[in-house]
Amino acid sequence: MTVGLFIQLLINGLSIGSIYILMVLGLDIILRGTKILNFAHGQLYMLGAYALFFLFQQLHIDYVLSLVLAGLIISLIGAVSYLGVFHVIRSRFTVSTTFSYRLLLSAMASVGLMMILQQGTLLGFGTLERGVQSPFPQIIAIYDIRFSLQRVIVIALSVIICVGLFLLMYKTRLGKILRAVSYDPEAVTLQGINTFWIFVICFALGSGMAGLAGAIIAPLFSVTPTMGQNVIFLSLLVLLVGGIGSYKGTILGGLVIGLLLSFGFQFLGGAAELFVFLIVIAILSIRPGGILGEASE
Amino acid sequence: MAKLQNSPKSDRNRIIAIAVLLIVLVILPILIENDYVKHLLIMACISTVLGMTFSLLFSTGLITLGAGAFYAIGAYVSAILAINYGLSFWIALPLTIIISSIIALILGAIFVKNGGIAFVIISLLFANVVVIATGQSEFLGGWGGIIGIPKPSAIGPIEFTTKTAFYYLALTLLSIIIIIYLALYTSRIGRAWRAIKLSPNLAGTLGINLYRYRLLAFTISSATAATMGSFYAHYFQTITPNAFSGWLSIYIQLYSVLGGLEYYIMGPAIGALIMTFIPEYLRVIKEIEPIVTGVLLLVIILFFPGGILGSFRNRAKNGDSFIGKIGKRLSVYKSWVFKSK
Repeated sequence: MTVGLFIQLLINGLSIGSIYILMVLGLDIILRGTKILNFAHGQLYMLGAYALFFLFQQLHIDYVLSLVLAGLIISLIGAVSYLGVFHVIRSRFTVSTTFSYRLLLSAMASVGLMMILQQGTLLGFGTLERGVQSPFPQIIAIYDIRFSLQRVIVIALSVIICVGLFLLMYKTRLGKILRAVSYDPEAVTLQGINTFWIFVICFALGSGMAGLAGAIIAPLFSVTPTMGQNVIFLSLLVLLVGGIGSYKGTILGGLVIGLLLSFGFQFLGGAAELFVFLIVIAILSIRPGGILGEASE
Repeated sequence: MAKLQNSPKSDRNRIIAIAVLLIVLVILPILIENDYVKHLLIMACISTVLGMTFSLLFSTGLITLGAGAFYAIGAYVSAILAINYGLSFWIALPLTIIISSIIALILGAIFVKNGGIAFVIISLLFANVVVIATGQSEFLGGWGGIIGIPKPSAIGPIEFTTKTAFYYLALTLLSIIIIIYLALYTSRIGRAWRAIKLSPNLAGTLGINLYRYRLLAFTISSATAATMGSFYAHYFQTITPNAFSGWLSIYIQLYSVLGGLEYYIMGPAIGALIMTFIPEYLRVIKEIEPIVTGVLLLVIILFFPGGILGSFRNRAKNGDSFIGKIGKRLSVYKSWVFKSK
């Protein structure tokens, strides 16, 4: 393996991994705050990519502005789906509702939502693959090391979003409330905070992350209605490896899975996903809760 | 929550109901001429068992989104035993059950360490990996699958050439599995499972070994799914990875949720019957079928969380009509439209 190939695979792995990190941070925010495992997350990612396609490619809006708009649109979709579906389910739970029942109902509802969004997009936009023209088409070449600038931009944007999220979570009052809600919503209510809107914000924020991830990756891959299905499985894998409820674990897991996939595809071809799954099983058999997480009941 | 005890009177009523149901099921193929309807009945039997495996795991508080995985494993193991080793169905079936139980025991030992959300994810990923692995493997026929699996050989005068014979075979398997499951649910093991579901922590303090009981449930449910997989392979005679992928595992939960989650056997049975027959008779266009299913799923969860059976029982108890119930549910929307609470 030459140094050029290695660097190329490294950058590919990091760019894929950073997208997974954004996806999984979104999943994790929703999961921690509202205790919903949102299977429709992959479809929100796909809708984010479509939003960028229409804003940037069709309406010729500025790239950064269309990214922000795509994120906002998907946040709105997320908030509406929370209000329409998940809030109704949650409002029915009582103290005696078992944890598994809560989890099942919200997971099943999100599966229903996933099916509707997935097939709706397929019917609405057709199976046609759409390409978003890259705003940074340049190829960086240093000796025999070549990689596209777009991939570096993807990594840079992901880092910026992650830093922004951490500032929000750890430096603002809203972030403090969001973190508090994930521990004990009742106690937060007792402090005079309206948890209803906090849950909505939580869901919108998580959905927005998925939308942004889709919008960022759109210039690299073609935009298809099935792109959400492929990404959700690997995102869930990242969530597992990193450990549920650990931001550090998510970032570590995203990088590990991204690099494994990038190098795996080069040397193993189609069996790469299988290989990654086997490694994940091996990790889970040693640490049941993921690398930095704790095993749950 | 599941009823832990039954009165003698409801037991007697239940026995009468089961006897009537059994007689109807046995004489059904004589009344029906259409082969396609018989085929749907056979598929409903398979779906019922798959729904029951989901309910079994749910009775221990584990939610599986990969109930189809061991169905696929069973079908493939049985097909290989029949084709590569020339075994008849009657030998391949018990061997399949044993082999899949061993696989389930080994994998379950890792999977079941995590409860809750992590188990949901692992099961979903495992179901997908099984499909990818069978598709990639040349030995298992790749994406084209395995064709030419022999039909079960004749036992005595019964030959497996007609749909009717297969229907009785499916019904026999279903009955045996139901009896085993009923025995499990009413035994100490079943009570321990339900205790775990109600509160894992409390069950642990009462001396129930969570890990072992859950592993037992995982192994039993996987072996049951593999049994039906073996039957499916010999009935259909062709298996492809795509038959086990896509929405299959999601449909399996739909059977249980639709019928009623608190009814471990009748719930999946009713859900499977409805989900097998209604799409066929509505002649829904293939493309909008997932949307219809998705909307159905949301409607059930939002308005009838107890499933069909649960709603009927509530109606008998509280006198709530379906419309009144929907109105009650909709009032949640009203409360946040008019007054942000």
